[in-house]
Amino acid sequence: MRYLRLWRLFALTELQFELAYRVNFVLGFVEMFLVVGTSIAAVLVLFSHTTALNGWSLDQMLVLLGVYYLIQGVVNLVLTPSFERLMEHVRLGTLDFLLLKPVNAQFLVSTRHLRVVRGMDLLLGVAVLLVGLSRMDDQLGLGAAFLFVLTLGLGLVAVYAMLLALVTLSFWFVRVENLLAIFWAFTDAGRFPVDIYPGWLRLTLSTVVPIGIAVTAPAEAVVGSLTVGTFALLAAGTAVAFGFAAWFWRRGLRSYTGASA
Amino acid sequence: MPPVVVVRDLAKTYRVSERQEGLGATLRSIFDRTYRDVPAVAGISFEIEAGEVVGFLGPNGAGKTTTLKMLSGLLHPTAGAARVLGHVPWERAHAYLRLMTLLMGNRTQLVWDIPAADSLRVLQEIYRIDDVTYRRVLSDLVELLELGPLLHKPVRQLSLGERMKVEFAAGLIHSPAVAFLDEPTIGLDVTMQVRIRQFIREHNRRSGATILLTSHYMDDIVALCKRVLVIHHGRLLYDGGLADLAERMAPHKLIAATLHDSAAGTDLSRYGTIVGNEAGRVTLRVSRAEAPEVTARLVHDLGEGLADLSLQDPPIEEVIDRVFSGEALPT
Repeated sequence: MRYLRLWRLFALTELQFELAYRVNFVLGFVEMFLVVGTSIAAVLVLFSHTTALNGWSLDQMLVLLGVYYLIQGVVNLVLTPSFERLMEHVRLGTLDFLLLKPVNAQFLVSTRHLRVVRGMDLLLGVAVLLVGLSRMDDQLGLGAAFLFVLTLGLGLVAVYAMLLALVTLSFWFVRVENLLAIFWAFTDAGRFPVDIYPGWLRLTLSTVVPIGIAVTAPAEAVVGSLTVGTFALLAAGTAVAFGFAAWFWRRGLRSYTGASA
Repeated sequence: MPPVVVVRDLAKTYRVSERQEGLGATLRSIFDRTYRDVPAVAGISFEIEAGEVVGFLGPNGAGKTTTLKMLSGLLHPTAGAARVLGHVPWERAHAYLRLMTLLMGNRTQLVWDIPAADSLRVLQEIYRIDDVTYRRVLSDLVELLELGPLLHKPVRQLSLGERMKVEFAAGLIHSPAVAFLDEPTIGLDVTMQVRIRQFIREHNRRSGATILLTSHYMDDIVALCKRVLVIHHGRLLYDGGLADLAERMAPHKLIAATLHDSAAGTDLSRYGTIVGNEAGRVTLRVSRAEAPEVTARLVHDLGEGLADLSLQDPPIEEVIDRVFSGEALPT
């Protein structure tokens, strides 16, 4: 509860800041519409040549795309800005101040900063998702809706965990922007169902860069093709990833504060 | 009341990996690292009572900042123990963090792009300060630091001095009982240094907070601290009053003799080492033990020719310099 209140305050503070730069804010919106618009257009063009992509119909693809932008939205809204600042803090030594606050340090570095305009991805994602859902023949059952929320949550946690682990590397290497760039390059692949990719890439998108499975699983939950295997993989993978990331973060902190020396 | 800070044989040794120059050596070092132990703090002990303002003196690399970082909880010591307000600092218990603050003159905890007022609001929530207390503390700080409009400008638009004032507000908004100040006046102009000093003194008087501060500026220490800790090469060289420091560490005194025209040009070198001679005012350096006798002899020998005579301790900067350059050691 306390942490929710804190987060709301972080968000309000950052929103005020962004509103102070109105042109930037508006441009951010325009950029988002262009990015999402072109990727929808690409899917439409694709489906003007075919009716199904590895079993995925156009409507189902829209649902998938919606989930993709929803997850990207959360990542861009909170995680990217916060983690970028974290790396800066490590470089400048100002992380000291965050570590001396009576608040869970992992929470603070993961959520302190937001780029509100990036939350547009999230809203557009929801919109695309709803369009896709409304065009599907079947009504969305309660069970499917529950599975959707559950897998979406798991997927988000998995992506968060991998990002945290990557950023934690900056305790040792200080500059890890290039590693992050590789991560982002892979996330682009997440806008298509993970099962259309060849084995090695599917594996990568389900493990090291879990965006693939994080996007595909919720979409499958909605369209009714989620298998027990995929769900089990996602659930177990998320638990392991989160546990590892939290451990790795504490390990990194110890190295930063020199406990091991 | 028990001491606020208790430090026993505290030591910190950094392990630094040694790397030769060149690409080949760099690649080799990835697999086969050689380490070198660098002792930053080599076993120091002291206590600080509630409400004291203690100055931490030492040249760069003496171990001041490392000690402050251990006491604030950022660094784990290699050996030894410390308690601040009954807490082991490096456990970083939230109960402890709420009671302390660390301010660094060369780093900022404020967010550059937003006004400090917003950062302060976030701090209020982080430290769970109720609205009434928050408003009272903030208005006190605004008054003492003359913050006025500064809080509502983005931090990036503030001058260095203004930023430091706002930094103090951010560091003290939760009314910490212990404050560690690392070079709080670094880079500031003289006027601003004086203002910050006045603020620290007044804050200490009003709040009774215990303050441990490091500074390169002797004026800071002289103005604020009755007691100083002198640290050099990680060891504590001196712990005591500022006034006694000169006595213990400087084996000599200065005698300034101003001569009338009638006696001008008299050679005073037989009384002591002449360290200054301008406009009829001669400064002599004599050993502490001989000082009274030399003074008496000067008065006797020069008689009417003497216009003024004073016996002084050498400037504290000079004493410290001599200590750090290894010329004088505590007796």
